[in-house]
Amino acid sequence: MFGIDISKLPDLFLFDPNYPLLFGSSLFLFLFFALLVFYRIFAKSNNARNLVLIVFSLYFYYMAGGVFVLLLILNAVLNFYFGKWMGAAKGENNKRTFLLLALLFNLGLLAYFKYTNFFIQLINDINIGQFELLDIILPLGISFYTFKSLSYILDIYLEVMEPTKSFRDYFIFVTFFPNILSGPIDRAVKFLPQINKTYNLTRKDIAMGLMLIMMGLIKKIMIADYISLNFVDRVFDSPIRFTGVENLLAVYGYALQLYCDFSGYSDIAIGIALLLGFKLMENFNYPFKAKSVSDFWKRWHISLSSWLLDYVFRPLQMTFRNWGKVGNITALVITFVLVGFWHGASWAFLIWGLLHGLYMGIGLLVQGPKRKFYNKYNLFNSKIFGGIQIFITFNLVAFSFIFIRANNFESAIDVVKQILFFFKPNVFIQFIEGFTPTFILIVLGFLFHFLPSSLGDKVTDELSKMNIFVQAIIFTIVIWIITQVQSADLQPFIYFQF
Amino acid sequence: MISERLKKIICDELYLDPSSIEIKDETEANEVPGWDSLNHANIIVAIEKDYGVRFKGLEVLKCNNVGALQNLVDSKI
Repeated sequence: MFGIDISKLPDLFLFDPNYPLLFGSSLFLFLFFALLVFYRIFAKSNNARNLVLIVFSLYFYYMAGGVFVLLLILNAVLNFYFGKWMGAAKGENNKRTFLLLALLFNLGLLAYFKYTNFFIQLINDINIGQFELLDIILPLGISFYTFKSLSYILDIYLEVMEPTKSFRDYFIFVTFFPNILSGPIDRAVKFLPQINKTYNLTRKDIAMGLMLIMMGLIKKIMIADYISLNFVDRVFDSPIRFTGVENLLAVYGYALQLYCDFSGYSDIAIGIALLLGFKLMENFNYPFKAKSVSDFWKRWHISLSSWLLDYVFRPLQMTFRNWGKVGNITALVITFVLVGFWHGASWAFLIWGLLHGLYMGIGLLVQGPKRKFYNKYNLFNSKIFGGIQIFITFNLVAFSFIFIRANNFESAIDVVKQILFFFKPNVFIQFIEGFTPTFILIVLGFLFHFLPSSLGDKVTDELSKMNIFVQAIIFTIVIWIITQVQSADLQPFIYFQF
Repeated sequence: MISERLKKIICDELYLDPSSIEIKDETEANEVPGWDSLNHANIIVAIEKDYGVRFKGLEVLKCNNVGALQNLVDSKI
């Protein structure tokens, strides 16, 4: 009856490493819809809703990350007590002891899972000793939930907030399924007070939530997955088989792909949270509109960059404050190398982080002369000059992404060499003919990015005025279109590996 | 209350005219034009020099607005 195969029912509750539960999958959309129905029914009972939220979050994480759900629970339990003990500790020294314990636990686990093999390889490479690489599986989302927990501990230490008295509330903060796998890395100080608010969605919230989920799916499945499978991957797999113009387009395409993949995920996470009555922090703000690299970092992965600003850069900067500009530059370079290292234990990420540290450092060194130059030629308000700044910044950022995407360092150099010495601009026409859908998607992707942001607000406004059934129909049509375009199996989100 | 002396140090460091800007206890760094995360260190160093005091890094990190910074200065002199 109804075509349901009962024998497949246990699959719904058993983790399968080959089919982790992902936001874009139809199973997730179905389960999330069921969760929303439950939320509606228990709109008035905070306790019932929070209980279901915990169960659903643990189920979601188990279906995505398997047995590591136990590690997540351990993280929540221990950090709750570290926070509690630190809050109750008398004197700076006792507080610091609990801080160190918490750092040791959180960073120790992260280091074990993420960096052990990197350092074993390093020891082997420089011939200090020879060790076998360990068979370590990275628990999904560990970089994200570790940083989420650490922000709670550090904010208590810096007296930004008091530790929460409710273990349940803290548990919800850590395990909250929308942002558990890939951020945004929310702060407890903003999240905790939202847990016990009455569940009361406005029409605007619903429209905004649906809009974010739709935009996220479009960005991820229609743009990122399509251009990566059909073009970007092919070029990066063997850059020397393509001309410079194709390599350049693949580099630009990858910048767009990475943005659509990651910000698409963030949009879905923020949209889902909004429908559950939570406002998560913004994670992307049109990053390619940035006029400088420092501006870029205020717009790209904001939850991570602001985390590092508050807990890494500022303390370092205070330590080196008497060194003048050198102090700032040292703090910047260390912070950005750590940004790279946070993304992954590889030389590629270190180079990428170092490049951004250098961009920022150089930016700081030329700040004074630059300001004089801009003032002299009255460039601050020039739209054309603003456009040039955006173009230069985009190219600096796209250049840094080559090292993340290329299969290895030599391959990254090949990409740059092809662009510099084998450009062949006339191949551009052949590219448009050969890769028409890819070309259209890249152009559309960038075009939408550079449209005024107020346009999105207007569309959301219009959507919020519509009847809920009309909204549901629009949502279904968008999902249907996306599934038609979907090129293959849903590709894992790039940021899951970090 | 933010003292004229503290206000002057901040404004000098940011090339601002003290008469054109209001700095209150609850004013946060990002509300003052030009006070960004990079020149934050310069402002702290300028304050330390002017008052002849030395802050601990943690003390400065705990200041969430200018009022807290004023209290920190007052506690040192």
